[in-house]
Amino acid sequence: MTMFAVLTKFELKLQLRNVITLFFALAFPLMMLLLFGAMYGNEPSEFTGGYGAVDLMVPSYTCMIVAVTGIMSLPLTVAAYREQKILKRFMATPIQPLQILAAQVVVNSITTIAGIALLLVVARLVYHVQFLWNMPATLFAFLLVLACMFSLGLMIAGGAPNGRAASALAYLVYFPMLFLSGASVPLYIMPKSIVKIANILPLTYGVRLLTGVWLGGALWDYGRELLVLLGVTILSVALSIRFFKWE
Amino acid sequence: MGIINVSGLSKDYGSLRAVDNVSFAVSEGSIFGLLGPNGAGKTTTMECMIGLKKRTAGQITVLGLDPERHRQKLFNDVGVQLQETVYQSSAKVYELCELFASMYTKPLDYHSLLERFDLTEKAKRSVGSLSGGQRQKLAIVLALISNPKIVFLDELTTGLDPGSRREIWSYIKQLQNEGRTIVMTTHYMEEASFLCDQICLISQGAIVAAGTVDEVIAEAQIDLVIAFETDSDVRLLLSALPHSGQIVQQDSLVHVYTHSEQTLTDLVLALHEAQVAYRKITITYPQLEEAFLKLVNPAQKGAVS
Repeated sequence: MTMFAVLTKFELKLQLRNVITLFFALAFPLMMLLLFGAMYGNEPSEFTGGYGAVDLMVPSYTCMIVAVTGIMSLPLTVAAYREQKILKRFMATPIQPLQILAAQVVVNSITTIAGIALLLVVARLVYHVQFLWNMPATLFAFLLVLACMFSLGLMIAGGAPNGRAASALAYLVYFPMLFLSGASVPLYIMPKSIVKIANILPLTYGVRLLTGVWLGGALWDYGRELLVLLGVTILSVALSIRFFKWE
Repeated sequence: MGIINVSGLSKDYGSLRAVDNVSFAVSEGSIFGLLGPNGAGKTTTMECMIGLKKRTAGQITVLGLDPERHRQKLFNDVGVQLQETVYQSSAKVYELCELFASMYTKPLDYHSLLERFDLTEKAKRSVGSLSGGQRQKLAIVLALISNPKIVFLDELTTGLDPGSRREIWSYIKQLQNEGRTIVMTTHYMEEASFLCDQICLISQGAIVAAGTVDEVIAEAQIDLVIAFETDSDVRLLLSALPHSGQIVQQDSLVHVYTHSEQTLTDLVLALHEAQVAYRKITITYPQLEEAFLKLVNPAQKGAVS
């Protein structure tokens, strides 16, 4: 096996031992789905634009999973590695420092996909969710949301002066996005003032885009969402490259 | 020329000079110790030698290469243990070994390394369940996996109990016997005296003394102390001795300070001639610790480690 494959396998094993990440990426979205699914069912309704409530939950919870791996798991691990001087120790080996970050991105992507797969299977089996999606567009939207959240996470990890600051920043970015972007609680039940706040959160655009294409919409109907997500991704990557502290 | 040559090394952190014009050479197969109080610049000097820190000025060659420019290449021949590294507590010992083994072209068999460091039983345990001594042994195993010619050890025994510390010392001696060169930092003078062929004493980023342990002690010019007990007042008698410095007598206990061992012979002859009875005579040579304290003024602060 190549060095990168061994590193990724190693990091994956550690991720599988991280109960908190597994809970929030795999179990928590399912619990939400089953709880709110039991409350609202999946009957099409006027209030939800002619779709079932669970039909709308699936793309939202997908965004929730991406946010927890991208903005919590990824930056907290990387910040801890820097604080524990693990990054520095790896720099005293033939490994390229970027490979360590790449392995983290791969591992968290795998966790994300596992969480989403679980969500889709249960939603299908329990609530007979319809896959109305435009598959390539949905895949593209998912990858864009993933890139956006992961690059935000790397910016937090690289810019925070220490592990504690990284945690504080991650919570500060994660929780508003969890509750106010429509990822967990739908925005159509929120008052206008909250929607105003939601509009400054990048994940809100992710939820809108992914929900849109998930329900069969076309990508070009979401130009603003695409631009915001792409812009935040590019900005985060640029800031990460400029300010990432290995030590 | 040594296997490592450092000449005129300086390192600034902003306006603070952490290492100031340091030069030394490490000869192949030796154990070289960087000594100094906390914050003296030992770790910074070592990290410049490994290429983990960019130097402000000076030249460094390790195995003939510049560590800053050939970092990746050098790390096949250089093993490193960093003072502050805390490995992932949920990782298992063998998993870390496998990971490090995958990084090198010709790694040593980590099973035999674990065996040698008495960690075989711990191979499937998590790093978090290891004792402090076991973690340090694991750090050495990981530093050795590349089968390095040079091993850098940064305060390897800090925080260990005396038993574990001595166990680690014997391992370091073994590494030297295998022909490896060791560069270590420590602030334990007993450790440096036991292990190091050459030491370099750093204070506030600058070299205060360098050489063998005995040479550094000699440089500090500390008196030998001859002590004995007698029932007579010998102060007048002993003041006539050549070489001797201060003579202190408190009741029966006498201390004679001198910079020459010859004083012992002179003293015994003088006492014998004057028919003065004496007992419990001892001679105390200055240790590295006293030389360290004399050479390094501990009141001064301000540098970064």
